[in-house]
Amino acid sequence: MSNDVWVVADLKLDGTIRKVTFEALTEAKKKLVGKLGGQLCAVLLGSGVSGLEGELGKYGAEKVYVVDSELLKDFNTEGYVIALSELIKQNEPAVVIAGNTVFGQDYFPRVAARVGSGVAMDTISIDLSSDNKLQIERFSHSSKAVQKQVFHGGTTMMATVRPNSFKTEEAPATPEVVSGSVELNPGDIHVKVVELQTKESDRPELTEAERVVAGGRGLGSEENFKYIYELADALGAAAGATRAAVDAGYCPYDMQVGQTGKAVSPNLYIAIAISGSIQHIAGMGSSKVIVAINKDPDAPIFQKCDYGIVGDLFDILPPFTEKVKALLSEG
Amino acid sequence: MKILVIISQTQDTEAKIQVSASGDSIDTEGMKWIMNPYDEFAIEEAIQTKEKHGGEVVIVAIGPARVIEIIRQALAMGADSAVHIKGDSFADTDSFATGKLIASEIKKLGEFDVIFTGMKIIDEESGQVGVQVAEELGIPHVSLVSKVIEINPDSKKAICQKEIDGGHVVVEVPLPCLITCPDAMNEPRYASLPGIMKAKKKPLTEVSIDDINFDDLGFSKDAVSKEGARVKTIGIEVPQIERKLKIIKGDDEPMVKGEAVAKSAEELIKLLREDAKVI
Repeated sequence: MSNDVWVVADLKLDGTIRKVTFEALTEAKKKLVGKLGGQLCAVLLGSGVSGLEGELGKYGAEKVYVVDSELLKDFNTEGYVIALSELIKQNEPAVVIAGNTVFGQDYFPRVAARVGSGVAMDTISIDLSSDNKLQIERFSHSSKAVQKQVFHGGTTMMATVRPNSFKTEEAPATPEVVSGSVELNPGDIHVKVVELQTKESDRPELTEAERVVAGGRGLGSEENFKYIYELADALGAAAGATRAAVDAGYCPYDMQVGQTGKAVSPNLYIAIAISGSIQHIAGMGSSKVIVAINKDPDAPIFQKCDYGIVGDLFDILPPFTEKVKALLSEG
Repeated sequence: MKILVIISQTQDTEAKIQVSASGDSIDTEGMKWIMNPYDEFAIEEAIQTKEKHGGEVVIVAIGPARVIEIIRQALAMGADSAVHIKGDSFADTDSFATGKLIASEIKKLGEFDVIFTGMKIIDEESGQVGVQVAEELGIPHVSLVSKVIEINPDSKKAICQKEIDGGHVVVEVPLPCLITCPDAMNEPRYASLPGIMKAKKKPLTEVSIDDINFDDLGFSKDAVSKEGARVKTIGIEVPQIERKLKIIKGDDEPMVKGEAVAKSAEELIKLLREDAKVI
C-alpha cells in the first residue's frame, strides 16, 4: 500500500474538467497528502483526454495517470470500472476520491466492490484520524443529520465529495504523466450508448453553481418559468425547481432540487414560490444564504431562510430582476 | 421472465429525528419504519414488466423481523414471492457486506432476467448497494434510469433512458442486468384489499445468519456487525443552522403590495449586498 492520494478527474460532456475535481485536489492536498507523506495524483480517464494534465497540475497534482481510449467515451461505466480498478490494484493508493456527480455515483461504488474497498458517498468533509485513516462527514436522513465516519481495515479508502463543498486554490505543479497500463477490450463493454442528447445552456450546472434561483409550483406554468430564467441569468445563476414544478411539467427533471433531485449548496439560493417541504429543504438546506419570495406568510420556507419578501412573485420579481441587472452591470 | 426486486426498509425521514444516547446513531425508539420510497418505483416497474411479458416477480430484502411489513406490502402490490435475509445484526451491516449478502442469496435463485432496485435508501442516502450487487453477480447495471423504454425477453436486451449532467442518454444493455430507479419513472400502485389478502399466502423464504456460508462470501461473520464495518459511523449530529429570518412584509397585511413592491425589492437587494455580501 502506497501513501498516495488520488483524485479521479470528473469530465463534462464538452470534455472539460468539472470544478469538483479541483475542489477535491485542493482539499486533499490541504488535509491528506502532507500527513500521509505520499504524492497527490490525478487520474484522467476518457477518450481524447490527453492534454488536460496541465489543468490538474494547476491544482497540485504531482502525477497524472492517463488512460485514453475510444472505449471510455460517453461516460462508459464499464470502461471506467475496469480502468480505475486495474490502476488501483496495480498501485494501491491510500485514498481515492471522485466527484459525487451523476456519473461518479454510477461507477465509483462498483469500483469499490471490485477492489474490495469501503466507500463513503457524497462527503462534505475529508480528513485523517489520528492513525491516518480517512475520516469523513456526510449528510444522512434527508440531510437532517450529519454523520461522521471513519475507515477501518487495510484496503484503499474511497470517497466521493459533494460539489461546492470545498474551495479551490491553485498550487501549480508540473505533473509527471504516466500512461496507465490497462487493457480495454470491446468485449468488456456491454452497455452501449445508442443516443446522447446534450442540452445547450449558457447557465452554470446546478451542483457547481455559486448561485441558484429556483421556482416552485406557484409559478403556474412552463411559460412563467421565464421569470426564474431571467433572474438566474441576471445573477449568473443556475436555475432549479421543486419536484412539484417538475411533475407539473413546468421544467425538465434535471432542474429538480431536493431529496429526489440534486443536492446543492451554493452561496446564494433564491426560492421563488417554494413552500419549503422537507424533501426540498433536504436538497438545498446547506446553502449559505437562503432567500424566499412567497405570498403565503405561513410557508415553512420563511422559517428556513435568511431574507425574504412576503409577496406575489409576479409583482416582486420584475422590479427585483431589473434592479439586479442594473446593479450588476454597474459592477 | 424472472424479475427480481431488492427492497429495503427505512426510517421515515419526514419524522423529527434525534440522536441516540450512544451518539453514533439516530434514535429509532417509536420511529415509523416505511418502505424505502425509491423501492416502490422499482416494484412498480417490475410488476409492469411482468404484466407485459409474463413471468414472476421475486422480492429480496435484508434486515430484522420488522422488514416483513414491507415484504407484505410488495407482495400485496403484486409481487409473487419473497426472500427475507433475516436477522437483527443486519440492521447494522455496512453497504459493502450488504451487497455481498444479497448477491449470494440471488445466486441461489437460479437464472433471472432483470433486477430492479431503488437508486438509494433515504436514511443512509448512500446509493451503493444496488450497483455493488450487480458487480458481485457479474452483470451490467444502469443506474438512475428515468425511463425503461423496452425490455425484450427474446433478444435478451433492455433499452433505458437515463439522465446525466447536461443531457440524457439512451443505452442498450444485455439481460440479465440491474436497473436502479429514481422517482418519477412511474406511478407506484397502491396495494388493493384483495392484494393484501393474497399476500399472506404467497411464498416467503427466510434465510437466517446461520444459513449463510461466510467462507464463500470472503469475509467473517463479524463483518455484518456494526464493529465489522469498513466505514464505521462514529458520530452523528442533527445540526441546526441558524437563519437570519429577516422577512419583509406589508404594512397592513402580510403581503407586500402596490407601491411598497419597488421599495421591498430595493431593500432585499440592499440586504443581499450589504448584510449578506453575496451579490
